[in-house]
Amino acid sequence: MSDAAKFKNNVKVSERHGAGEWATERVALLALIPLGLWLASTAFTLAGASYEVVLAWFANGLNAVLLGLTAVVFFGFASLAWKVIIEDYIHKPGTKAALIAVLNLVCLVLAAASIFFITRLALGSAPLPAGFGA
Amino acid sequence: MTQPSPTKGGATGDRTGRFVTQPNGHVTPLSPHMEVWRWHVTMTASILFRATIIAASVGLVILVGWLGVLAFGPEHYACFLDLAGSPLGLFVGFGLTVVLFSFILNGARHLTNDTGAGLTLKSANLLSNIAVWAPVPLAVLFWVVLFAAGRVSL
Repeated sequence: MSDAAKFKNNVKVSERHGAGEWATERVALLALIPLGLWLASTAFTLAGASYEVVLAWFANGLNAVLLGLTAVVFFGFASLAWKVIIEDYIHKPGTKAALIAVLNLVCLVLAAASIFFITRLALGSAPLPAGFGA
Repeated sequence: MTQPSPTKGGATGDRTGRFVTQPNGHVTPLSPHMEVWRWHVTMTASILFRATIIAASVGLVILVGWLGVLAFGPEHYACFLDLAGSPLGLFVGFGLTVVLFSFILNGARHLTNDTGAGLTLKSANLLSNIAVWAPVPLAVLFWVVLFAAGRVSL
């Protein structure tokens, strides 16, 4: 890595990278506030809607993109937020690292599943498991 | 973990006993007593945001489930609608709208405070009170309008 001093007066120096996750979390939160308002209006529109109405909603590209964006930004935000929670309460290094690894895997899988489902719904693909062995 | 050890002023020449030597050799003031504090709405807003993020994660998992049943076809979606329309489903739905409004308002409060704004006693109290209480009437309004418009029924 760099040859910048890691310690200064026996105190760890982290000003060059330590704020990265903190800043990312804020940017994600800033994006999630308008997306959350849009999600509330969407929930209002689609509450109790029929299958056809929901599919027609997904056929609108803007809706599909915004919902995909909401899911990806939220799961990215959640991975950082839950990491802080884990770091606050779990102090055994091995357990902490394992939990954070599981957390990141779960967030990644959920984000990928969202994109997969949204893409299929937006393209009007045949219901699953069409084309997946059934 | 090495605990900071109180030094009776040895390092600073201080005789009050209000300073401790940290593991890295720094001499810092002793922390205030753990049990001397009073409840404040800003504390509620702060811990509630963490609870809200946890609840919102559950909400987003339900959203992915909703996407899943839609992708698996109309009969699975009909199942989902039955479940969501049941008393328990409506209760969970109401809770999730509270969580959503709480996330938006408390997130806005957190971001405002992160920029260093809204930190005077008066404005911090106001922002915290809004973030803690407003989600409930907003969610009630949301569902009253849904029921009134006949979009949802028991």
